[in-house]
Amino acid sequence: MISTHTALQAACLFYGLAFIASLTTLQHRRVLIAALLIPGLAASLLIVVLRYHQAWPMLPLHLTPVAVLLCLGLLYPIAANAAESALQQPVQRSLLAAMVLVAACTLCFPKDFYLPFVKSKTLFAHAFLVFGAIGKACFLVSVSWALAALMQTRHAYSTSHLHRAMHRCHFWTVWGFALWTISMFNGGLWSYFGWGTPVVWEDPAILTTMSAWFFYACFLHLHLTRSWTLTGRAACAVVGGLAVLALTFLPDLGPFRNPLQL
Amino acid sequence: MKTLIIHCWHAMASIRLTIILCILLTLNAAWGYFCLHGNASLYMPMNDMGLIPWAKTYGRSSLLLTAWFFLLLFLLALLVCNTFTCTTDRVYRLLRAGKTTSPMCLAFKLAPHLMHYALIIILAGYLCSYLFSQVLTGQTLVPGTHLSLPGAKGQVTFTSFAPEYYQGQRLDFFTDHILTPRAHLLLSSENSTREAILTATRPVRFQGYTLHMIDFAPKSLGGMNMPTRIDLHIRKDPGVFLYLSGMALFSIGLLFYVCEWILLKEVNKQSV
Repeated sequence: MISTHTALQAACLFYGLAFIASLTTLQHRRVLIAALLIPGLAASLLIVVLRYHQAWPMLPLHLTPVAVLLCLGLLYPIAANAAESALQQPVQRSLLAAMVLVAACTLCFPKDFYLPFVKSKTLFAHAFLVFGAIGKACFLVSVSWALAALMQTRHAYSTSHLHRAMHRCHFWTVWGFALWTISMFNGGLWSYFGWGTPVVWEDPAILTTMSAWFFYACFLHLHLTRSWTLTGRAACAVVGGLAVLALTFLPDLGPFRNPLQL
Repeated sequence: MKTLIIHCWHAMASIRLTIILCILLTLNAAWGYFCLHGNASLYMPMNDMGLIPWAKTYGRSSLLLTAWFFLLLFLLALLVCNTFTCTTDRVYRLLRAGKTTSPMCLAFKLAPHLMHYALIIILAGYLCSYLFSQVLTGQTLVPGTHLSLPGAKGQVTFTSFAPEYYQGQRLDFFTDHILTPRAHLLLSSENSTREAILTATRPVRFQGYTLHMIDFAPKSLGGMNMPTRIDLHIRKDPGVFLYLSGMALFSIGLLFYVCEWILLKEVNKQSV
């Protein structure tokens, strides 16, 4: 039977190839990317199914990176959809790069050896994982659009592109923020029903989650009040977004393991 | 004096202050992650002993590792003041202008403000929880025994243990392991008696207290020769209602905001 490690190796390979395909100028590039993404997506789905099958009805621990990978793959067709190719290409490339990075980090620093625990047998725990993973994927999509917006700033003629890219960035940030908040509330309810306390200090991930929430609250305020210039906001979304999202992945990464080991 | 108050109010209501505070809170929480990582035992007692006794003991003795937490409290206090003043200003303006807008439109416009007020309620709930909770730890019951709740005339009797086991052999470790430790309790007060089921994720409320199962034995079918017992934490937490209400309010506000945003702003494709 195929193991989750092998499936992750396959996912990493297919996402990597899809990223390389996105860098080429082939005529049927989009078809090729789709053809490579589908098996990658299937491999990610297989890992989630296998881990859930083992742990059900408890929560498989540290599944978030793979769940984010799956969500990114599912969101990709909608997320990278833009009328202008000037925006589409950088968004596609950065999204695929993000997928490769997440897959490679999960493969090299796995933390799938933790056993589930009895207190995770609650709907709130599952909702915490699911909403959190979709929220994080939305944030990564918003970073991709912000990156596309930043690339437009080099061209004087592309102000409308910059506006459109930042509009999409904001769209994905709002979705990410809403889902992230719902995930945090589910985490709070899980904490109350499981331990009777508002905060479970055993898990430092609460602080990385909080850090990302405050960052995106700040970004939304910047956007809604138009306090900074568009370029400033795009830079903030890229640099700050990548930093806080990297931080949120930290608690789910374990010690180094040879990625080629079977 | 009045001018000074108005000046302070406006300074506190600044959106720039919100942005600065959010950036500082982002950085502070990131710093906190590195301080908490590997040092959870320093913070865990706060859940049982409350904020003030924790700050005077653990907090003060390891200031290098806990400074971020005190800074977090300070920043959150500032954020609450800033959110309250800023939101109240805007709500006041909205309500004054609201006479000419439809109730539905006004409800949509008030949604973000509802979320801001809800955030204040959540934070107040957490603070209440850590300041005023009464916690009784280390309450162990075996079948047939009972305990009395302090200051209440009720009695909790542990009648029987009916666990649910892990099905199948998907994870070797969990074969025959208890998945749902189901404890049957009899809750007797002066006027009535009722039965309740306590599990690891389903607390039982009784006479203002909440009973939480922290641990149990035996853990598996093979361990049935171990004496059956449940370990309880009994809490009287006045903050729970506040922060749960805050979460519900925030969710309602969020729902309205997303609906308005999808229905109106996205359709109109407003400029950024």
